[in-house]
Amino acid sequence: MRRIRDAIEDFGEMLFFALDTLRWAVRPPFRPELVLVQMAAIGVGSVFIVTTTSFFTGVVLALQANYAMRQLGAEGYVGGSVAISLARELAPVLTALFVIGRSGSAISTELGTMRVTEQIDAMETMAVNPVQYLVVPRVVAALAMFPLLTMVFDALGYAGAYLMGIYVARIPEGPFLEHTRTLVEPKDIFHGIFKSLIFGAVVALITCWRGYSASGGSKGVGESTTRAVVASSIAILLVDVGFVLVTVGSGK
Amino acid sequence: MIRVVDLHKSFGANQVLRGIDLEVDKGSTCVILGGSGSGKTVLMKHVIGLLKPDRGTVFVNDVEIPKLEGPELTEARRMFGMVFQKSALFDSMTVLDNVAFPLHEKDRSISGKELRRRVVEKLQVVDLAESVLPLYPPELSGGMQKRVALARALIHDPPIVLYDEPTTGLDPITTEYVDDMIVSAKQRLGVTSMVISHDIASSFKVADKLAVLYDGEIAAQGTPEEVRRSQHPHVKKFLSLWFEKQ
Repeated sequence: MRRIRDAIEDFGEMLFFALDTLRWAVRPPFRPELVLVQMAAIGVGSVFIVTTTSFFTGVVLALQANYAMRQLGAEGYVGGSVAISLARELAPVLTALFVIGRSGSAISTELGTMRVTEQIDAMETMAVNPVQYLVVPRVVAALAMFPLLTMVFDALGYAGAYLMGIYVARIPEGPFLEHTRTLVEPKDIFHGIFKSLIFGAVVALITCWRGYSASGGSKGVGESTTRAVVASSIAILLVDVGFVLVTVGSGK
Repeated sequence: MIRVVDLHKSFGANQVLRGIDLEVDKGSTCVILGGSGSGKTVLMKHVIGLLKPDRGTVFVNDVEIPKLEGPELTEARRMFGMVFQKSALFDSMTVLDNVAFPLHEKDRSISGKELRRRVVEKLQVVDLAESVLPLYPPELSGGMQKRVALARALIHDPPIVLYDEPTTGLDPITTEYVDDMIVSAKQRLGVTSMVISHDIASSFKVADKLAVLYDGEIAAQGTPEEVRRSQHPHVKKFLSLWFEKQ
């Protein structure tokens, strides 16, 4: 019972933290230079893991789809089915999960260390709001970079599927590309990109909050990072289910 | 300059401050001396507005700190520089960026050249050479980190400097250096200082005024000599352990 109450309290505190972040995001001074630094850390820093995983995701998706569809004589649909899976679901979700592991954990650890070594308190005594200085740039950078990384995932995932489908599985190129064009509409791509925007906000807020509220020395920082990774991963999956229920359920 | 009036603060059932009355004169150094858990840090956090009292108040330059919120509180904090126990330097920034930080955030129109000039000027006050500017905090010794922290606290020329356990965990030579640094900052810049400490030797060396905190109350206060003659049982016990060693 107590754990449930603590969890509800914790969630409430995080909501207030999110509101505080919003409040400070629209208040000057604005610090674009800090946003750029975070865009490099979250975005550029995650390019390697996103490109690698997206390419291999596309490769295995094409092979698996080919295995199933060949039995129906529908291997021409492999390109389209992979593209639509990537655009609507896999690219935003897998990008979010990989970025949580790569950059979300780093955000939580960095802010947690700053908290337990009193660097955040020091900032406050210097008349600088730590939410505005530390959290807002990370949230803005995540909002900018998650959709971009998702687009990279889309493109390279499809490239992997194309190479496997055409050159290894020997699917005729014409139907492969044609069915991609007929199955995938711009709204499918926007569906995934919009979702990645929400994921970016969720991941940045949860990992920042966990780090910002860390306590108890290096052990506490480690625990807060673990909790940040677990909580944001689960949150991504829950938000995804909710989003799909609302959009696909309503036929969008 | 700083006036604490009947300050009370509890955290849940734990009553940390039980009616503190204290005055710190302009240009003087007041040391709040006490053991662990006596409420020293809580008292300091009220002075700088990081905590709100349950009862009582704090005036700094006739500004009632607990009544301030938002931008007014932010503005009031510019009256202070604070040196933290473990220096609390930003470890992702160089010494130059660390020391320049409060000034740059106060006035973002100051040029990089001017910032550097002001930083070098303040580093000279704490006897640090220009060569440390590109270094990161982990590349500095504990004593150097303390000096950089003081330079950062002084960079915007605050009238008040707060020190939170400045000598904790330092070796005797560095401790002496930090003590000299506190005295020097007062003499050279005329700042009012409030020091939180449990280091009796350092406290007697730097204090113009001493207040011994015990169980959330001030057990004795006055000049170091007056406190030394205090008949309060806890103060006598607390000080005797150290004086016997001398």
